[in-house]
Amino acid sequence: YRDLHTFELQAPTRVIEWARGSRVCVAGYGQSGGNEILQLLPPPALQAKETQGLCPERDFKVEGGGFSKRPVYSLKYVPDTSLLVTSGPPDSSLQVWQVSAEDSDVIKSVSTIATENATGQTWAKIATTSARGPWVLHGSTLDSVQITEVELRKNVYTAGSPDGEELAGLAFLDGSTAVLCCARGRLCVADVRQPQGALQALPAPAAPRGDRWCLGTACAAQGSGPGTQPVARLSSRGLLTLTDLRKASEPSASATAKVPSPGSGAEFLCVSWAPALQGCLAVSGFDGTVHVYDTQSWDSSGREAEPIFVHKGHALDGSGDPALVTVHTWHPQKPRTVLSAASDGSLHVWDWVQP
Amino acid sequence: MPEIKVTPLGAGQDVGRSCILVSIAGKNVMLDCGMHMGYNDDRRFPDFSYITQNGRLTDFLDCVIISHFHLDHCGALPYFSEMVGYDGPIYMTHPTKAICPILLEDYRKITVDKKGETNFFTSQMIKDCMKKVVAVHLHQTVQVDEELEIKAYYAGHVLGAAMFQIKVGCESVVYTGDYNMTPDRHLGAAWIDKCRPDLLISESTYATTIRDSKRCRERDFLKKVHETVERGGKVLIPVFALGRAQELCILLETFWERMNLKAPIYFSTGLTEKANHYYKLFITWTNQKIRKTFVQRNMFEFKHIKAFDRAFADNPGPMVVFATPGMLHAGQSLQIFRKWAGNEKNMVIMPGYCVQGTVGHKILSGQRKLEMEGRQILEVKMQVEYMSFSAHADAKGIMQLIRQAEPRNVLLVHGEAKKMEFLKQKIEQEFHVSCYMPANGETTTIFTNPSIPVDISLGLLKREAAIGPAPDAKKPKLMHGTLLMKDNSFRLVSPEQALKELGLAEHQLRFTCRVHIQDPRKEHETVLRVYNHLKGVLKDYSVQHLPDGSITVESILIQATAHSEDQGTKVLLVSWTYQDEELGSYLTSLLKKGLPQSTS
Repeated sequence: YRDLHTFELQAPTRVIEWARGSRVCVAGYGQSGGNEILQLLPPPALQAKETQGLCPERDFKVEGGGFSKRPVYSLKYVPDTSLLVTSGPPDSSLQVWQVSAEDSDVIKSVSTIATENATGQTWAKIATTSARGPWVLHGSTLDSVQITEVELRKNVYTAGSPDGEELAGLAFLDGSTAVLCCARGRLCVADVRQPQGALQALPAPAAPRGDRWCLGTACAAQGSGPGTQPVARLSSRGLLTLTDLRKASEPSASATAKVPSPGSGAEFLCVSWAPALQGCLAVSGFDGTVHVYDTQSWDSSGREAEPIFVHKGHALDGSGDPALVTVHTWHPQKPRTVLSAASDGSLHVWDWVQP
Repeated sequence: MPEIKVTPLGAGQDVGRSCILVSIAGKNVMLDCGMHMGYNDDRRFPDFSYITQNGRLTDFLDCVIISHFHLDHCGALPYFSEMVGYDGPIYMTHPTKAICPILLEDYRKITVDKKGETNFFTSQMIKDCMKKVVAVHLHQTVQVDEELEIKAYYAGHVLGAAMFQIKVGCESVVYTGDYNMTPDRHLGAAWIDKCRPDLLISESTYATTIRDSKRCRERDFLKKVHETVERGGKVLIPVFALGRAQELCILLETFWERMNLKAPIYFSTGLTEKANHYYKLFITWTNQKIRKTFVQRNMFEFKHIKAFDRAFADNPGPMVVFATPGMLHAGQSLQIFRKWAGNEKNMVIMPGYCVQGTVGHKILSGQRKLEMEGRQILEVKMQVEYMSFSAHADAKGIMQLIRQAEPRNVLLVHGEAKKMEFLKQKIEQEFHVSCYMPANGETTTIFTNPSIPVDISLGLLKREAAIGPAPDAKKPKLMHGTLLMKDNSFRLVSPEQALKELGLAEHQLRFTCRVHIQDPRKEHETVLRVYNHLKGVLKDYSVQHLPDGSITVESILIQATAHSEDQGTKVLLVSWTYQDEELGSYLTSLLKKGLPQSTS
């Protein structure tokens, strides 16, 4: 490690989202209500480009907080506004919040975007993009995918798909295209420029039926074209497939992550691309570790790949039940800094060294 | 309604100096008397004129309580007691009493000697002030006067820091001072019992932070020291005699052992003696681990840490030295600093806050050319690092303390209102108590609901028990009695007993009413008519016709006479006692309606 900071939150979180000015947002997912949404300001050392050693200010500051009765399973800031949206069981509606006005540090609940209730315990996945201001792409199943303009509370797009398959994740590739990933692994691409549109489906990768999948896309850098990184999919068995949507519908490369088998459920699967390192992605959700892989050497064989770095911090800390990493995210500016949170409430910020 | 009034004279909504005035059941207590370290003029002292415009502070205040020795909690004490004028008792724990004067004297020296201030307290004033101090032990209930009592609880944070409970009758306030809910290497965590005070006054400086883990800080500290020593440099760590210094020593000792390092570590001797002495006195204030090491061996008989001699500073090669004073303003640490400042391989690590005007403060603010005595310029090429291990409670800690004490109201000081709205809501939601955040000079009034015990006489109790069913929590029973208040005792007795005790005769109240009835017949016939009428209507009551011509209904008397001027009108005199008021008025209205025509 070059640097490692460990913090303890009062309640574990499964979301870490970045906001303007290097701020970070976390939220609790307890079932019994009283969950807090916290907007944190990282210590100066983590905001600056260079790493400093003994900085006087080493703590996260809680800039603002709000209370949510629902567990927060997904949270996204709405670009160009001072709003954020959250979602969680028991239904697929979205909760809209207003982040700190000048005179108060409370994150207030503003409104709810209701949706037709999907059957079962599904909750909405959310995506936003800086290319299209207050648009929020959300849905819990393929047939309920829509885009809502949050400030006007208007529906802007509805995916025309009769298929009620459960969604594992969705993301904007750019201002006009969105990719949807089903829980069973199938990818669909949607053109969101029209209010209603058919989805273009891509076949699911070859994998046992029982596997569940999740999606990882690169956030388009400012001003660059549509996602230059392929779309990554991670299965609950550790199979990773990369698909370049512009070129072909077949996965361009795949490998298997070194994970304990069998996978311990797909609740917290998370895969994400490093914004500043070409071809680097991180994987978590199987145990108390976060793996970093270099995908540039991968081919399409699906062989097991060696991680170039493993963060074991969460697994070592706890004394009771081993912690499960719930989410991780890369620092937008510092190339090798990663934030990860686990089910025991720990929050780690680590800067790894390239071997 | 009885109330508790709190006015922060300092703290309230800024961090700088703590000084809080509490008014509880007629007693006035001042909590802490801190100095604001950021100002150089009168703003550094709390505004004492607020307490009382005329009249002496000694008469107004019942006592002053100091929570711990940090200057932002006790720095203004000598000014307050000797220059403004206060002769009443000042309470603090034993370690605080021992350490306070040292820090105050240090501070005085810096301000007067270095900065040339004139309107400041003198050494003699510090001594006179400390003579007014009464030291207390933990968990010892101290009677300030007949009604006011105080008790100190362990607060962690620094050696001798305490939280105080102030109690008058059944109203109480707990003031936390600065506290810490997680134990560190040399201090335990704060603890209080379920005392259920009406009000808990808590600091909230770090309420909005999520702290970096101690292991990370320590790891970084050791890394820096190691790097410097590895390249042959010298590390200077200016410390105050007690507290963090021991913690850092233990840390380094363990590290040296593990890494098998050879560079010497030194501890200033003057420091050792004083520290030893104090530690022997206050061993109960540190945590388990230190106590064990102290029992096994002398605190400063570390394998790798040796006593320092002035001459060692000139030795070549790497070394680590702990020296006083902590802010580099005088003495040995400053001397060593001057010797080592010119070499960029060396490092100085400041472990705490430095007062303005000290060398420590200057180098931390980035100054690299310092003016020393005799107009000499010192160029500082050595690395300057700052590292704070100071322990304050964060949001989680505050919630823990509230959970332990179970107050009915919470008041937060030491934070900014805007930034504490979220915490206020969190506390109110979780514990269903009110949370206040007053600004400096703003008075917050908290209403309390004291329970007043009342003795009830046995006779009254027996009498009530005989009537009707036993009282039930769900069906309260109304009871009549007389409340006698004498001195501080309350007694509930029957009215008869009260009259007897007070030597008063009971007064009887009797009402008389005249009802006119048109009836030309003779009086005794009218009476008979009335009697029969009443007997018919009031079947449940005892209506009697007495030989003397009057009628009684229960104990109400009715007599008939002829009207003096008009023979056709009869006057009915209805008379009843206060107890029969209801029946009496009913009878009267009944009779006013007139008699039925036909009577037997």
